Amino acid sequence: MTVAENTFENLRLELRRGCLTLAVLAQLKQEHYGYTLRKDLAERGLEIDESTLYPLLRRLETQGLLASQWREEDKRNKRFYRLSPDGEQILARLLEEWNTINTSVSRILHEPDAESK
Amino acid sequence: MELLDRYLQAVRKYLPLRRQDDIVAELRANMESQIEDRESELGRSLTQGELDDFLRKMGHPMVVASRYQPQQYLIGPTMFPMYLYVLRLALLWAFIVCMVIASVVTPLTEGTGSAVVAALFRTPGILLQTAAWITLVFAAFEFARTRYPNVCPQIEGLNKSWNPSTLPPLEKDSLRQGKPRSFAQAVAEIIFSVLFLGWVLLIPHYPFLLLGPGVVFLKTLPYQLAPVWWTFFGWIVALGIMQIVAKCIDLARGAWERPSIIQHIVFKVVGLIPILVLLNAPGHTYVSLKNSAIDQAQFVKNLAEVNNAIHLGFSVICAIVVLQLAFDIGKLVTQAYRKREAAE
Repeated sequence: MTVAENTFENLRLELRRGCLTLAVLAQLKQEHYGYTLRKDLAERGLEIDESTLYPLLRRLETQGLLASQWREEDKRNKRFYRLSPDGEQILARLLEEWNTINTSVSRILHEPDAESK
Repeated sequence: MELLDRYLQAVRKYLPLRRQDDIVAELRANMESQIEDRESELGRSLTQGELDDFLRKMGHPMVVASRYQPQQYLIGPTMFPMYLYVLRLALLWAFIVCMVIASVVTPLTEGTGSAVVAALFRTPGILLQTAAWITLVFAAFEFARTRYPNVCPQIEGLNKSWNPSTLPPLEKDSLRQGKPRSFAQAVAEIIFSVLFLGWVLLIPHYPFLLLGPGVVFLKTLPYQLAPVWWTFFGWIVALGIMQIVAKCIDLARGAWERPSIIQHIVFKVVGLIPILVLLNAPGHTYVSLKNSAIDQAQFVKNLAEVNNAIHLGFSVICAIVVLQLAFDIGKLVTQAYRKREAAE
């Protein structure tokens, strides 16, 4: 991997990290267990490695943003996650922040340069 | 599914002890669901090779388990600037103390060259130990404040309580920056250097130029200067001539505005020679008796004390000059590095 590729990869991961958290929180308005959550996100165009998603769920639960419970489904015990009341509040604030950033970046990208004005 | 069990067993070994069972059970449920899905898509069981690929894609057990660990720092980003500052300060002082011990204390207490060399060779070890202790203390503090946030005082970071008006004034780099020298200033420096050299050359013939009325006492004292001072004097004169020549060359080249850093360092290195000449004086004799046959009994003790005091004085001067030189060289290297970084 060249230096430029490595730099790109680091920046891409940095950019994705926050977005993934947001997507996972948003998707967990409905209850899911790890694998179906991953499948749902992938169907909506957001691929996440298992080794990233499953620990992320644990971390968000430790932070009090998710609530979980073990339940049997299809003869197998699975851990189901959903957004906690605290998580709902945080998600709303994060979405607000996300929209502000998104709008600003779009404006920056689509605004004509000062020179060309 | 034996391979899956082996994989999960390997992951378990690297997981936090308290949550091993829970995490492994969840991983198993997710992975089995995924395998089942894949198998129903294919309409058959996965082959050994496909299962290998699936697990390879999941990642090495150690990597998978490491993602379940909380983010850990030996020294976190809040403490790191403070750690770096303390580390640099401590290493600088440890280096200064080592140099003083090697160049002043060791020659005075042990007096052998091998003891000085041994003291110098101890320096890297001492610096390493200093760095290790400081890192250990900061790591312990970091651990305590992250593990017991209610017990340990929380550091707000350096951003919380600082006042811009307490910032130090702009540093002047005496070697590079500041007001450039004018032509008249450069010429005046040469004239004064020539006058100073002339004054130095006259001192042996007219000691009152240095001592003033004190020269009368010099004549009545039973002491005289040892021959090593003539060698010292020769080097001082040579150094003076070298500096005048260099200044004249700068003037001729039109480079009088800013003194060259390299030239400054070279003169400091050459300036060490007369000091080293004195430090290596035979028997550390700087002063001897005019009439040793007559005054030996009365003044021999005083003579030894005077010679020791002069040797100690020049040892301290030598240590200071060496430290200044090391500092200037460090500054030169840093400047060169910054220049190169900026160019890149």
